[in-house]
Amino acid sequence: MDKNTEIAKRDDRNIEKTRELYEAAPAVDIYENEDEILLVADMPGVVKEEVSVNIDNGRLALSGVRKLESGGVASWEEFGNVEFVRNFSVPQTIDVQNVKAELKNGVLTLHMPKSEKAKPRQVEIKTA
Amino acid sequence: MFTRFSDIDRLFGTMDLLRQRLDNMSTDYNRPYRSTWLMEDGFLRANLYQSGDAFEMRLEVPGMDKDALDIKIQGNYLEISGKRDHNVPDGYKVHKTERLNGTFSRSFTLPDDVDGARVAATLKDGVLYLTLPKSEAAKPRQITIS
Repeated sequence: MDKNTEIAKRDDRNIEKTRELYEAAPAVDIYENEDEILLVADMPGVVKEEVSVNIDNGRLALSGVRKLESGGVASWEEFGNVEFVRNFSVPQTIDVQNVKAELKNGVLTLHMPKSEKAKPRQVEIKTA
Repeated sequence: MFTRFSDIDRLFGTMDLLRQRLDNMSTDYNRPYRSTWLMEDGFLRANLYQSGDAFEMRLEVPGMDKDALDIKIQGNYLEISGKRDHNVPDGYKVHKTERLNGTFSRSFTLPDDVDGARVAATLKDGVLYLTLPKSEAAKPRQITIS
């Protein structure tokens, strides 16, 4: 009998879930040279206030929320409110203090300079 | 007796859950983002809204400046084309390129004719907003019965 009451109690049938914000992964381009890693992500419709870039312990988390005002009666809709989320592993050698980001025309450009000790260096050999 | 009832209930409960999930999928059909989707084919997605007087069309065009876009309208035919440069910065090693580059073009046949002279377009944050007023003949009209 106890088993019955446990089975009959299914809350998720009763609670109506409102639609959560969809998640999409933005398309990114990643480039690297000796001084920095450059990441460019497409996030159309996202404004600066809604972007968050988090670098912590070798992990980069990008997030941008897009909320568009409703345009009226829709004939068809192919894009809507969405959260752009994407996570990356970044090398520990990134100089987190000097990371620069800019958002222009819906494109987020992230400059991650490498810390001094990670830059390639010529080691000079001294003759003993 | 009670045991049997809840067994059947449980069976149908699972089916109900499956049906609900499938229902949600079909209403979501016109929404492009399900759990997580890479936007590979996501360039130039468009939304079309209409009111009695005008259409409003929105397109996703990230990374485009307004000179790089070309909008043509003729009657009820709308064409949007442009070019996004392969802006690989010099001297960088490429790890990944997912963003689409090159020339693109998308055309639409709108349900009604548009008055080409009064079209307004603004580009904001990588989304192109087009206001397309309908031509006079296409506007809805009240008919009075004499």
